[in-house]
Amino acid sequence: MSVVDKVETTTEQREKLRMPRMSRRQLLLTIMPVAVLVCLVGAISIANPNFLRPASIWTVLDSSVPLLILALGAMLVILCGGIDLSVAALASMASVLVALWVPALEGWAVVLVVLVCALAGLIQGVVHVVAQIPSFLVTLGGLAVWSGIALVVSGAATIGVSGDTLAWTFTRLTGWNIPSAVLIGAAVVAVLGLVMLLTPVRRWLIAIGSNEPAALLAGVPVARTKIGAFIVSGACAGFAGVMLVGRTYSGAPTLADSLLLPVVAAIVVGGTAITGGFGGVGRTVIGVLIITVLRVGLSVAGVDPSYVQIFYGALVIAAVALTIDRSKLLFVK
Amino acid sequence: MAPARLGQAPPETGRAPARSRRRASLLADYGPLGALVLLCLTFSVLSPQFATWGNLRNVLDSAAVLAVITVGLTFVLMLGAIDLSIEGVMATAALSVALLIANTRNDIDLGFLAIVAAVALGACFGLATGLLSTGLKIPSFMTTLGMSAIGIGIATVLFAGVQPSVTSPAMGEWASGQWFGLTRLTFVAIGVVIVGLLVQHYTRLGRYARAIGGAEDLALLSGIRVRRYKTIAFTFAGAVYGLAGVMVTIQLGSGIVQAGVGQNFAAITAAVVGGTLLSGGRGGVLHSIVGVLIVTVLVNGLVLIGVSPYVQGAVQGVIVVAAVAITAWPLRQRLRVVK
Repeated sequence: MSVVDKVETTTEQREKLRMPRMSRRQLLLTIMPVAVLVCLVGAISIANPNFLRPASIWTVLDSSVPLLILALGAMLVILCGGIDLSVAALASMASVLVALWVPALEGWAVVLVVLVCALAGLIQGVVHVVAQIPSFLVTLGGLAVWSGIALVVSGAATIGVSGDTLAWTFTRLTGWNIPSAVLIGAAVVAVLGLVMLLTPVRRWLIAIGSNEPAALLAGVPVARTKIGAFIVSGACAGFAGVMLVGRTYSGAPTLADSLLLPVVAAIVVGGTAITGGFGGVGRTVIGVLIITVLRVGLSVAGVDPSYVQIFYGALVIAAVALTIDRSKLLFVK
Repeated sequence: MAPARLGQAPPETGRAPARSRRRASLLADYGPLGALVLLCLTFSVLSPQFATWGNLRNVLDSAAVLAVITVGLTFVLMLGAIDLSIEGVMATAALSVALLIANTRNDIDLGFLAIVAAVALGACFGLATGLLSTGLKIPSFMTTLGMSAIGIGIATVLFAGVQPSVTSPAMGEWASGQWFGLTRLTFVAIGVVIVGLLVQHYTRLGRYARAIGGAEDLALLSGIRVRRYKTIAFTFAGAVYGLAGVMVTIQLGSGIVQAGVGQNFAAITAAVVGGTLLSGGRGGVLHSIVGVLIVTVLVNGLVLIGVSPYVQGAVQGVIVVAAVAITAWPLRQRLRVVK
């Protein structure tokens, strides 16, 4: 009996010791991204006051939409502790498929492409869950497969899109000149946010990311939730590919490949921990805005675009180092 | 992402009788070799050009760079870590060697020292990866993803829009010269493989790398300086990638940012197909070399039977996932956490 008591007291004490540290960390992860965003916007508007004019704000938001849609999907997978490295390649494949199918199927091509990409996500999720292969490896393999498919069906060429089937992705609506892409991005954020708010999905994802065996024992449908996260991630990648085609009037097998690092950077900079169990839609929106404003800021500051890659790499490492939950990592592999 | 490992080896006690365990380990050791033989036989039937002396030389020559990379990667994989920085390190090494040797861009000509400098630069990348992973406790797949971007970025800055072509006659000789019918670079690769084998069998790095990958907690408890040996393994791997970048520059005669494109995934595929477990603790240089030959024969054979070269990446993607699924299938458990 006494042994049990001792154990309980020590766990209680440890709990007490731990609580303030944990919540301080979470508070930091909540305030930091917002503070960084405010500082960045402030710095750029001092350097160039034109930045705060509606026209340039709309342009910045407009350019961030494909990144936003990609990041929202990938965030769900990271939230349950995995990672989806295939999103950028999947968006490239989607761009090729849209460009190929629009002449025949008109608007239905968009629906079909999103479904195909959701299917790709489903395959990755099922392989990850059923064969119990680490998600980074499954999606790395997926990355190669989707790029291969994109190369084969496009013949490694850029495919132009004519007509105005996809004009809705990239126009300005009358009145305040609001870009349609921003409204679409806001709609995706609203839908995902409402699903997270009104259904138990958010709690399931966080439970899986925090402690998977405990979630399983508590009756959380672990396998289905994980596969669902991969499906949504795939569908978002497909939709982001469509948005990119609307912007460039062409699909290409490597169109979105350079977006992988910005996506991961946006998610972790927003405060979502790469270890899972902590994060959300709002944080990802903040993260995407930080990355977009940074990109604008770097060009305002006159930084050579060649340096941007170095910058993203350093940013990802620094952000992961800051946001990672080390109490979960016994051994870092 | 700490649990980004395939789980430990199954408990030794009470599970399988010794004989079946031995059979499983025999399969892991000789299965890839069998697959290689089977692959060669299949392609010989499908294409008359495959089983010729000239094509064998082609296969060996085109395996050289991948073999060098995979030797380095093997040590990282044996730890249970992963390295996604190969393309970045190779790009920086390729550009720096092209700019430091006699070239069309500047007047610097360090000769052989340029190669040493590029390899040292690769080692610096590896050292940085190792220090970040062990010091800041960042999962290696994340650190190396960032490192890869940094390497490609540095290479782009060095490239500066004008391609540096190597004008050094000695390098041209290395690019075209042959010994015993094989290019000189193939012998460099064989040398690296031998060095890799010696390191694996006769140094602490090789032994500890496997011990750490097999059971990191036990390695730590038995007094192995886990962090130091992890960092050393990453540094060794970085140096080897640097050498691979130099080899690509010699082959092409100029330094380009795309020197390592596709090699990272091919190397992971080769190592995994050869029987090096991604969870660490198993496999080795010889396993990986069998894997390199499998990947190279597959690429060569598919081209010979007329499959589009664009499919090759996709084929590798399917193979690597299938190989991991097959090797890890017996370890599946309902409560196992795989992230």
